[in-house]
Amino acid sequence: MGLPDSSQDLSTEMEVDAFRRIFPLRFFERHLSESLRPDARPLGKARDTIVNPGKIIYNLTLIKVKLFETCHLVCIFFVCIGLVSTADGSALAKIGSTTMLAAIRMEVMTPSTDSPDEGCIALEFHMPPICSPTVRPGRPADAAPVISKRLSDTILSSGMIDLKELCLVSGKAAWMGYLDIYCLNADGALFDAALLSAVAAFSNLEIPVVALNDNGRIVAISGGKDEDNASIIEKKAVNKEKRKLTLKNIPFSLTCILHKKYILADPTTEEESIMDTLVTVVLDSSDQMVSLYKSGGTVLAYSSAVKSCVELARKRAKELKQILGEMDID
Amino acid sequence: MEYVNPEGLRLDGRRFNEMRQIVAEVGVVSKADGSAVFEMGNTKVIAAVYGPREIQNKSLQKKNDHALVLCEYSMAQFSTGDRRRQKFDRRSTELSLVIRQTMEACILTELLPHSQIDIFLQVLQADGGTRSACINAATLALADAGIPMRDLAVSCSAGYLNSTPLLDLNYVEDSAGGTDVTVGILPKLDKVTLLQMDAKLPMETFETVFALASEGCKAIAERIREVLQENTKQLEYRRAA
Repeated sequence: MGLPDSSQDLSTEMEVDAFRRIFPLRFFERHLSESLRPDARPLGKARDTIVNPGKIIYNLTLIKVKLFETCHLVCIFFVCIGLVSTADGSALAKIGSTTMLAAIRMEVMTPSTDSPDEGCIALEFHMPPICSPTVRPGRPADAAPVISKRLSDTILSSGMIDLKELCLVSGKAAWMGYLDIYCLNADGALFDAALLSAVAAFSNLEIPVVALNDNGRIVAISGGKDEDNASIIEKKAVNKEKRKLTLKNIPFSLTCILHKKYILADPTTEEESIMDTLVTVVLDSSDQMVSLYKSGGTVLAYSSAVKSCVELARKRAKELKQILGEMDID
Repeated sequence: MEYVNPEGLRLDGRRFNEMRQIVAEVGVVSKADGSAVFEMGNTKVIAAVYGPREIQNKSLQKKNDHALVLCEYSMAQFSTGDRRRQKFDRRSTELSLVIRQTMEACILTELLPHSQIDIFLQVLQADGGTRSACINAATLALADAGIPMRDLAVSCSAGYLNSTPLLDLNYVEDSAGGTDVTVGILPKLDKVTLLQMDAKLPMETFETVFALASEGCKAIAERIREVLQENTKQLEYRRAA
């Protein structure tokens, strides 16, 4: 069954939409045989990226239209940092239409006895009902706890954050970072966008200044205020100015779909719903593999397919490194 | 504490009858049938509307020939300055109910029988007036989804501190212990759909504060209308192209 060509009028375009709904697999395979996807991307290409720190642009559709006129391009990828003023660090990441907002709040806690010099990070991934028609209120989405755990494991095992930097007073006080990631629009590749927003939020994080007062408790001091210096014992230089964490081994991920002999990078929700075999590869900035995830699916992958996924992930990691680099991250 | 200084300026430099800066955009969640972001100063809310779609829980359906309107209000964990919030506390449930009833009054539910309209609200940053921001965002999202409405439902809050009625309270002014009047109106029909007040107020003062809030609502309605008209122009441009 061939697809009508673009020179025909509106009535045959309606047929294309119906065909897409009724026979989605054939619609996609027809595109895959031409090494393309319905949004005109080549198979190995992720959705596009633009960094725009500071100014938040919520609505991409206008920009998408202008590009469609010129070069059939895809949705634009935004990473914006520093948006949520109630949080100590925040970032917005968009891959295509998938939008993630990450924000970190720091609170002081007592470290555990077996690691008195280390702070802690608690990560939670939320999928509120606004993000997708499949999420029902009152019932958490199926994907949310899975992604939450995977993100948590990935970030902690990559060694991006040195928990010792979160220590305030050894054995008595340390920082607990609560990282909340909210999915505002779920259009495939949720893990990738969530990881990117988490990394960007950590890079944006400014640890608030605190001091140890006479009672041995940590109190927050706002910058510039020098009241009662006698009654506040100044901490070491570590807390004198708002501090940024040093991030090493930043993890970058790419999710691919395996379908017959094709490998599609960065799937949309439509693609994910038709083809079920997902492989996620996480690499860090020194090109080491942090994690590999393939949770079943109908396609059994040869190791060559997995190696191709890793190659695609490597290219993607370079792209992402450049984007984050443009946002002044060390 | 002085909330209005002798020159008539408030803590953030506004006058008594000035609202905070409004940023409104439509069509931000591509997966939703209609969506909008509404910011009033530092209060940021995203609304997404899914519908009309098939009723998912038949036991909730009360009137057969009217659409079922469901609403859920939730605040992000990082939205307030203090502590992390419990996900579904009583305040969120109360606000979900209040907003649902406000929007239900303005949607023409009899035109969409046997269907369900979901309005989801997510507060990303809370700095007072979240209720109003949510109603305004929901109105924009419903318009974006093409759901027939009697009129735009707009809402604004006003209070009374240091013997001055103040429009559009932020969190600091709201928690000052004075009164907080939230008004929701349908501007063209000039009808009130939502009216909530807490703390005590003499009747004449109430009328002044209520009038101030209604003025604020009308100004927001103008702004919402502009945003929707601009959006329609963009749609027309896209269709022509």
